[in-house]
Amino acid sequence: MKSAWASALVVPPLAMTALFFVAPVLYLFWVSLHEASPSELYGAALTMQNYAAVFADSFYVAIIRRTLAVAAVILGLSLVIGYPVAYFVALLPPRRRMLVLLLLLFPLMVSNVVRAYGWVALLGRRGVVNTGLASVGLIDAPLDLLYSTPAVVVGLMTILLPYMIISIANALAALDTRYEEAAQALGAGPVRTFLHVTLPLSTPGVASGTLLVLLLTLSAYVTITLLGGPRSKLLVSMIYDGVTAFQWPHAAALAFILLALALALTMLVLALLRPARVQGTGR
Amino acid sequence: MNRARVAGRTLRGSGTVIATTLILVPIAIVVVAAFSPEDYFEFPPPGLSGRWFVEFFRLENMRSAFALSVELALLAATLSTVLGTLGALFLARRRGAVAALLQGLFLAPLVFPTIILGVALLLLYKTLGMPVFPGLLLAHCIVAMPYGFRTVLASAQALDPALEEAGQSLGAGPLRTFLLLTLPLIWQGVLSGWLFAFIVSFGELNTALFLTGPGVTTLPIEIFSYLQFQGSQLVIAAASTLQIALIVILVTAIERIVGIGRIIRAR
Amino acid sequence: MSDAQIDVRLAAVRKSFGSVVAVHNVDLEIRRGTIFSLLGPSGCGKTTTLRLIAGFERPDAGDVYIRGERVTPIPPYRRNFSMVFQSYALFPHLSVAENVAFGLRMRGMARSRRAEAVRDALALVKLDPLADRYPRQLSGGQQQRVALARAIVVKPAVLLLDEPLGALDKMLREEMQIELRSLQQRLGITAVFVTHDQEEALTLSDRVAVMRNGIIEQTGAPREIYDRPRTEFVAGFLGASNFIDGTVVAREGDTATVETSAGRASLRGDSAIGQRVRIAIRPERLRMERFDGAGLPARVRDIVYRGPVTHFYLESAGGPLISYQQNAGANEWAVGDQVRCAWDPESAVVLGSGRA
Repeated sequence: MKSAWASALVVPPLAMTALFFVAPVLYLFWVSLHEASPSELYGAALTMQNYAAVFADSFYVAIIRRTLAVAAVILGLSLVIGYPVAYFVALLPPRRRMLVLLLLLFPLMVSNVVRAYGWVALLGRRGVVNTGLASVGLIDAPLDLLYSTPAVVVGLMTILLPYMIISIANALAALDTRYEEAAQALGAGPVRTFLHVTLPLSTPGVASGTLLVLLLTLSAYVTITLLGGPRSKLLVSMIYDGVTAFQWPHAAALAFILLALALALTMLVLALLRPARVQGTGR
Repeated sequence: MNRARVAGRTLRGSGTVIATTLILVPIAIVVVAAFSPEDYFEFPPPGLSGRWFVEFFRLENMRSAFALSVELALLAATLSTVLGTLGALFLARRRGAVAALLQGLFLAPLVFPTIILGVALLLLYKTLGMPVFPGLLLAHCIVAMPYGFRTVLASAQALDPALEEAGQSLGAGPLRTFLLLTLPLIWQGVLSGWLFAFIVSFGELNTALFLTGPGVTTLPIEIFSYLQFQGSQLVIAAASTLQIALIVILVTAIERIVGIGRIIRAR
Repeated sequence: MSDAQIDVRLAAVRKSFGSVVAVHNVDLEIRRGTIFSLLGPSGCGKTTTLRLIAGFERPDAGDVYIRGERVTPIPPYRRNFSMVFQSYALFPHLSVAENVAFGLRMRGMARSRRAEAVRDALALVKLDPLADRYPRQLSGGQQQRVALARAIVVKPAVLLLDEPLGALDKMLREEMQIELRSLQQRLGITAVFVTHDQEEALTLSDRVAVMRNGIIEQTGAPREIYDRPRTEFVAGFLGASNFIDGTVVAREGDTATVETSAGRASLRGDSAIGQRVRIAIRPERLRMERFDGAGLPARVRDIVYRGPVTHFYLESAGGPLISYQQNAGANEWAVGDQVRCAWDPESAVVLGSGRA
């Protein structure tokens, strides 16, 4: 029975979330609408200038374009690599499947800075790749692999890949095999069964994996900084720079542009994939 | 199985091996580097040495960063698990638009860019004059809360709803129903939620970037600073390896408690 | 009948969920020591009514009384009842004995007395050797008995059962029906149970309330509501029934002659001449006679052999008819035969359309 008692349960977590999650973000938005100020956090006048300035500046526009391009490439790679792997994993016998998924889950728990460090150790001038290539005589001087956009793409992609694999593998493993059997009973061979039955029914897993990869790519400051260096900056790096330069309204505006991008991408993915028609209503 | 299917399977199988290698190799490299006897990282390493671990514990800033990370993680995990449990118990049997909205709100920090949360909190704290440690703790709580919430929600929803009513039909009031009937059946969700929250807080970086202060740094921040400013890198390999070892222990603990199946599905 | 003999009373109770009225103005009285069942199709409000007695739902209007006490504002854990749930709801982390002891523990009974009461209750349901097992180690039928023991050990004023036998297979269900009834009579507990299975209701109950769309259409002893249904719904729900429409054309004492489109028929009752009636006749009461006899003419359309009885599906000028004939001897009828249908006047019931 729903009593006042039971309703009071939600108050502490709700208060916490409202005070330290919702309120600060709203406050940040409020700040983004103000002028900059040399002495205070932000000036008194309200303005849309912070947003306008970003879109008027070709430098920022290029950064935004690069950010979206990186996100698209990483998403594409993680889908192309992740789906077949997820398919393989989903078909494994339960015990082995669980072990593999655990093996993929474990890296997600390791802090991003450590995982990025691993790539630094791999791609650095004295890193594994360079010393390996040199020792077999393929190169004379170490290659500059690090501090570039491709390094960011490769590193971030491998960091986010487990999210995609686990999402899709769970969706595939949960599929009732009877759908595929019904298709085959109606005359569809393995390829057509996959294209017309399995793939569409795995849409919710693809959708959640895609959203995770996209949103985490946009906000992966540490990896982008460590692997991209000062010349391969993305939108999130600009936010950090704005803060360290005490340009609060400017940084706030950049933050909300990032959020808007994230939201737009989310809606795009959901509209294209329409996972709801597979999951059904309710829940 | 015809040839095409076998070929497909082999391709996907080898693809899996490649993908898993790509994912795990960077972590393995760090662990190998931590045992390097040289001053710089060389692969393959000429030998194994524990000197960098000794160095880690010798350095004051490393020790205190480690201690702070542990302390923060313990507090944040506990606080966020309690809050997450309350939220999960409230939402376990509720349906409808409001319930869905609340559930989305409690899960939002999982996908919300934590760096923006860090900036927002920094601004709020500056305006309010919040001291560093509590501010950091609250940030970690927000980031960790979805984990406890999610695992406890899964446990609570798996319960037969009639169990609580059965308890009431036999005379157990709300408190006794919770203590004697609900809690014994969801404790695995609570404990694994706590462990996940601990891991997440221990590795949390993006909010801490803005919220740490002089003398108050967490281990991931120390590692990041060293990496950025080219400090002696191998000691941070040791630091990272310690973090990895801690995570291995904790994930194994979770697996023992709730079994692999529940963890994966909770994802 | 004094209040002391009525264990459960619902007075003008109403309950809605959003825009759906689940229970609409229900009045009920349940006498001590009887089994009362709430019978009806899905969504008729019977489970909601049960939960209103328990206190898991609060009525929007009206009151609930247990043993004369107005319990409407009192939460379930303070009402004097116990319940057997459809899913049994055994506590998985407690042993069978601990499950059964739970209610006694809540009432503060001392440990030694508890152990004894638990032993007795388990003996009553014939599960004493399983006291230390856990629910997951038991079969469905065994779990059901533990749920029962747990509910009766606390000696409640009323025992509520929510489709308790639904999950059991047919043979086990019939066995449990008999056991339930004997247990209830032995202990003298007042019981209310909910079922959609009309056979079960007729077997187990002292009184039945047939519900539809939140309203009780008729309450009465099983025999009464089966033989003398008041509405078409009750007649149809409790078993197959023939419905014949006609007009009363003559009366003689308490026997009326009715003109139907299939011919003349007679029935008992006080219907007036000229009144249009719909009569219900149970198939087992519809006799099939030779064509040159008296009664409604009909043709045998289909014959279905059912073991102890044979079902005859007939076609008459007034519509389809069904007749059940005992297979006590040789069967004379074949498909296509012309017959005459007749019945004793007491067997025909005039139906109203409203509530009982």
